[in-house]
Amino acid sequence: MSLLALLGVLSSMIYSGTSLLYATIGEVVGQRAGIVNLGVEGVLLISAATGYGVTVTTGNPFIGVLAAILAGGLINLLFGFLVISRKANQLASGLAVMFFGVGLSALIGKPFVGQKINSLPRYMLPGLDDLPLRISSLFRFDLLIYLVIPITILVWWLLFRTKWGLGLRAVGENAETAFASGRNPNLVKFQALFVGGLLTGLGAAHLTLAFTMNWAEYMTGGRGFIAIALVIFAKWHPIRAIVGVLLFSGAVAFQLLLQVSGVRISPFILDMVPFILTLVVLVIWGGSSKHAAPATLGRVYQGTE
Amino acid sequence: MKNIKRMLVIFLVAVFVLSACTPTATPTAADVAPVQPTDVPVQPTDVPAAVESPATEVVEEAPEEEGTCLVVGATYGGPINDAGYNLSMHEAVAAIKENIPCVEIIEAENVYDEAGAASTMENMISQGANMIFATAYAHQNPAFELSKKYPDVIFEHAGGWMMSGNFANIFGKPPDLWYMKGVAAGMMTETNKLGFVAAFPLAWTNVFVNAYTLGAQSVNPDVEVIVAYTFGWGDSAKEADTTNSLINQNVDVITMHVDSPQTVLSTAESRGVYSIGYQNLAAQQFAPEYWITGSGFTLGGKFTWLASTVIDKTWTPIFLRCGFEDGCMKLAPFGPAVPQAVIDKVAEVQAGLEAGDLLAFAGPIYDQDGVLRIAEGEVLTDDAMSTVDWLVKGVIGSPK
Repeated sequence: MSLLALLGVLSSMIYSGTSLLYATIGEVVGQRAGIVNLGVEGVLLISAATGYGVTVTTGNPFIGVLAAILAGGLINLLFGFLVISRKANQLASGLAVMFFGVGLSALIGKPFVGQKINSLPRYMLPGLDDLPLRISSLFRFDLLIYLVIPITILVWWLLFRTKWGLGLRAVGENAETAFASGRNPNLVKFQALFVGGLLTGLGAAHLTLAFTMNWAEYMTGGRGFIAIALVIFAKWHPIRAIVGVLLFSGAVAFQLLLQVSGVRISPFILDMVPFILTLVVLVIWGGSSKHAAPATLGRVYQGTE
Repeated sequence: MKNIKRMLVIFLVAVFVLSACTPTATPTAADVAPVQPTDVPVQPTDVPAAVESPATEVVEEAPEEEGTCLVVGATYGGPINDAGYNLSMHEAVAAIKENIPCVEIIEAENVYDEAGAASTMENMISQGANMIFATAYAHQNPAFELSKKYPDVIFEHAGGWMMSGNFANIFGKPPDLWYMKGVAAGMMTETNKLGFVAAFPLAWTNVFVNAYTLGAQSVNPDVEVIVAYTFGWGDSAKEADTTNSLINQNVDVITMHVDSPQTVLSTAESRGVYSIGYQNLAAQQFAPEYWITGSGFTLGGKFTWLASTVIDKTWTPIFLRCGFEDGCMKLAPFGPAVPQAVIDKVAEVQAGLEAGDLLAFAGPIYDQDGVLRIAEGEVLTDDAMSTVDWLVKGVIGSPK
């Protein structure tokens, strides 16, 4: 195993982990306010298709990023209308959003399949200019990669160090009490979902405009669901989500490294490794996370008399 | 709350299990390549009678306006602007209209499943279509069923094997092109390592990898080909990851067998690595600088000829497999980085394959474990290609 291969795993973890981390912290914000959105996959897809389409049309990937963010926020508001205003079951509504997203994104993305885009520009990490291109190209990152950790910390700060975050978490723990202390639980839930959607949109923008430079139907391939699993793994904490994301994307990169190193294990088995790992972690953490989950997660807030 | 959490965990488990085992997209005809029947081509002697009567009826029956000589319906398994297989099929159908202006075309793209294909084709027939081109793998069964119900309509399917009085199959022959691309890659590589991004370990993917490797080894005996699988026909993120991990093994030429070449080519280009395309010649736009060459289906001429035989009522069901020598497949133009010596060598190999002096799969051929698969003096027949579950010596990666 060469140095290049090991650095490559690191680079892959960062590249493929970025969209996952945005989606995960987006879901953390929503769940902290007590709302499970199983439709992350659909939100990612709609945002990705919108961002890609806008980039093709305008020729500017930054406008595409904005469009993807907005699309994510709007779809989450639609989901909020279902589960907050209409008081629908969150799990069922989330699945509906997922399937809706698969269909709608295919429709939006249809004219842009096979179209070339100007992908998000990449900037070299300072000090690496002298390395050979094969290695230095591993560490040329786009803006969304540079921003992902600061934004994660910002989300942590918002949730745990601001009054708004305190209110949001209070709503997730017990909406009635939050109401009694003068907050509007439904408004807070809408805000949380909107912010979560914006973050998910950032993830989709990175996936399509920076990483794959392509739009293809159902291109997320289950990443939205991985994000939901990582929320549990991270015990609803944005900073811990970084560890989970690195673990998952590292496992993907590592199994590919095994494949291309000529290890004689069936590639079918290797391909399952990241999922098995996530499952094992979920099973282990599942029992000990009762104090971490927001107390009224998934429960419909019926309003206070 | 506990229940919700329990449900969530159960649900996630289900999702993981499913997403770990199932492909995310339906393979198109090019992906699950054809099984070759043993008794082809069908003897044309007993067929004309069967074809003549429906053809006459068609002309009376079709509710078309003055000047329309034939209505052609075409179904595609994905979007026709995919710069890949579906674009190739769409171009072939469009060529009919260009060459025979009195033909009218009805098209339907993104027809994924069998049920959708059946109703789409039936709808086309009700709009007056007297000839159907079903171009996706999943369209073969429904088209065959409809051909029994509508004996007056001529059906052509791309990439399958079924045949009847009004149903026939047509496809290109990709392996020779893969051999030529291998020759180009073998000459271009400096690290002697070539990368191959594949969706699934399928028999036809193995055939392509083998032809590519043998071509490369014919000009560069030290060359290795590394194969890695994405387990999805359109999982772009996995394609980018896989391409990168191959490049990190010091691979300096990348090629692929997935639905759309876009992500793999763009990723290789961003890392400064040569690439070779497949499915459609338009793939070159994604790798302007490091493109070597590619291959695509160019079935327009044959589709036009088939339509013309329907118009003049001489159509007979022929099991048609045609390669680059018949104009059904083409090598893409070479990129700016390719020296003349490589272009000349590929041309020489092409001439050899065309003349039959050179065969892509001529024995002796050994597999990865050194087992003799094709003995000296023998060749891998077209029939045997659909069951290939081994990779030739020099390939790193698992064939199953």
